[in-house]
Amino acid sequence: MSATLQQTSRLYNELYNEFYSSNPDLNRCGQYLATLKVMLSKISFLLPEGEINNAEALLIGRNILEIGALWSVATKDIPSFERYIAQLHTYYTDYGSLLPQSQQMYPLIGLNLLRLLSQNRIAEFHTALENIEPEQLLDNDYVKHPVHLEQYLMEGSYNKVWNSRAEIPAPQYAFFIDILMETIRNEIASCSEKAYTCLPLSDAATLLFFDNRQDVITFAMERGWQVETDGKIYFATKDDNMVEIPSTGIIKHALYYARELEQIV
Amino acid sequence: MSAVEAQDVEMVAAEEEVDETAKNALEADALVLADLKQNFALLERAVATIESRFITRVLRTIASIRKRLNANVLSQAIQLAFPRDSPDRSKLLDYLGKESGVMEVDFDEDTREQVPILPEIDFYLSLMVMIYLLDRQELEKGVQLANETTARLQTFSRRTLDQLSARIYFYYARFYELLGKLAEIRPILLAAQRTATLRHDDDCQATLLNLLLRNYFHYNLYDQADKLVSKATFPESAGNNQQARYMYYLGRIKAIQLDYTASHNHLLQAMRKAPQNTIAAGFQQAVYKLSIIVQLLMGEIPERSIFRQPVLRKPLIPYLHIVQAVRVGDLSNFQETLAKYSDVFRADKTFTLILRLRHNVIKTGIRMISLSYSRIHLRDICLKLHLDSEEDAEYIVAKAIRDGVIDATIDHEHGYMKSKENVDIYSTNEPQVAFHQRISFCLNLHNESVKAMRFPLNAHRKELASADALRERERELVKEIAEGEMDEDDDVADF
Repeated sequence: MSATLQQTSRLYNELYNEFYSSNPDLNRCGQYLATLKVMLSKISFLLPEGEINNAEALLIGRNILEIGALWSVATKDIPSFERYIAQLHTYYTDYGSLLPQSQQMYPLIGLNLLRLLSQNRIAEFHTALENIEPEQLLDNDYVKHPVHLEQYLMEGSYNKVWNSRAEIPAPQYAFFIDILMETIRNEIASCSEKAYTCLPLSDAATLLFFDNRQDVITFAMERGWQVETDGKIYFATKDDNMVEIPSTGIIKHALYYARELEQIV
Repeated sequence: MSAVEAQDVEMVAAEEEVDETAKNALEADALVLADLKQNFALLERAVATIESRFITRVLRTIASIRKRLNANVLSQAIQLAFPRDSPDRSKLLDYLGKESGVMEVDFDEDTREQVPILPEIDFYLSLMVMIYLLDRQELEKGVQLANETTARLQTFSRRTLDQLSARIYFYYARFYELLGKLAEIRPILLAAQRTATLRHDDDCQATLLNLLLRNYFHYNLYDQADKLVSKATFPESAGNNQQARYMYYLGRIKAIQLDYTASHNHLLQAMRKAPQNTIAAGFQQAVYKLSIIVQLLMGEIPERSIFRQPVLRKPLIPYLHIVQAVRVGDLSNFQETLAKYSDVFRADKTFTLILRLRHNVIKTGIRMISLSYSRIHLRDICLKLHLDSEEDAEYIVAKAIRDGVIDATIDHEHGYMKSKENVDIYSTNEPQVAFHQRISFCLNLHNESVKAMRFPLNAHRKELASADALRERERELVKEIAEGEMDEDDDVADF
């Protein structure tokens, strides 16, 4: 048992040195992590259960998982990141009192929130928020960022979302923000379709955060907008004034009423 | 001399007064004891007939007995119920701080001694002692007793114990909650919940499920609570109080998950199922607080009358201010209120929900503007709503148009928003949908009430008997008619 623990801790040091070196070899780190996970599961610290008094082993387990999560972001592997976060959750909540608070805890929580946001899993985003102490919600830089982003998104202040790129609290955030940007551009596009009848190309470029005209034109093509020669985009105005009579719905309702009334009488 | 006499008289009067109060106390004790004895009898009857109705009656008296309970009465009742050499007896007496045997009671102990005590009565008394300890704030003792009682409870499998054990679990969890150690009992509650489900023990199932949810909520573990709800079924036949609690918890989970319509439905049911009198004031307040926020999030404005109810008026004042800010669409007022009452909202655990309201405030603001102006500059919108920049305003308005909050177009080149004419709502399908909602609500209500009707046992037999008699009479009638016809035939023949 302790032999495995020592081995684990030695390997962890190697991983630590590699990952935090100035030019980390991500493939090597991946290999380290894979071996370490096997070792952790052998001494049952991958998902700890019950009473544990070996705080040192617990700490190593947590550190490994934290590096794993950061490594997943670096290699852009979202499912793996999700798994690491789920495993870390036990360390942060159930065993939080046994360990000194981790430096990486709030950055990782923030990253996780951002991930949920970028995947448009708003319900889970809010459930995750409830787990965070209210004081941290508005004061902690790492948590505050995704919380504000969500507010901007809900209101529609896409401008602020775009600007928030410049003020990310940790370099890892950029990965998810970039995913988010793609979503936002589509959101803006769908809003514009409804809100404008026509729009000059140059204005469209600023609205959609494009740098040059060509990008706007290709984007317009993708969405099926008409670009006229006068340099304006015309959105297809759908004529949805036709009021359709929802016949099947009405028939269904009528039958339902008839059946219920039959039961009453 | 006369002065001394007067003093004597006064003293006598005072003594009499003391006597009077002592006598009153004694009488009250005797009454409580009589009530307890009657409950023992009811419990015995319940066991003999296996009829849960009697136990319900016993449990219903808890509230009234609880107020009049004291150590003396309880110890008398315990000595009365338990055989003298029972270890449980001395244990319970210990919890009350009474020496067993010191209080010799001159009831008919001899007859009692031989009969082994029914577990129902045993647990009933344990429950009463637990309640007594809770009221006296003797938490450590209470926890100890609760631990022992629940451990013993798990060795029994008697259907007549179901309702009692539900209550015992409730106080068990309450003790732990007051001591701030709720997380410890989660495995025990989960195990008990499993057992209760396997035994189809509806009362325990409902109580335990609610206790578990409360437990999770205490630590903000909403995802776990959600998983529990999706895996466990809440028994339909559970009592109204438990159902109300469950509905409230469901409403909370749904509100967190942004499913406001479902949340609102659950909360509405919670309000209707909860007791309407002032006993449940705390619960009502909690439900109304949450429901107000959920209604606001749905874009509805809660009725003003809610805030006028005497039980709710004072605790809802912060919420009233929030509602007013949202209704007018005044963002700065909203922020001020939020800052002012943030401690209250945090304590109520509605803070994060209220934070979400910000964009509802903006939406209402935009709708108001769109209704009152046919054409307005984006800059003016920005000023009116206290937004940070004109670009923000443009995006926000565009989103509002897309989400169907307003019907308008933006002219980007000239920088204004132009509202479209209001459409006549009666030319759409909207009224039909509204009617359908109401009709199906009424039909549902009818079906529910039919289901909720209770019929006395075997009552249909009587009807059956009378129906038989009726049929008999009919047959006779037919026979008579037939004979009459024959007679007529005869007559004809005669004629």
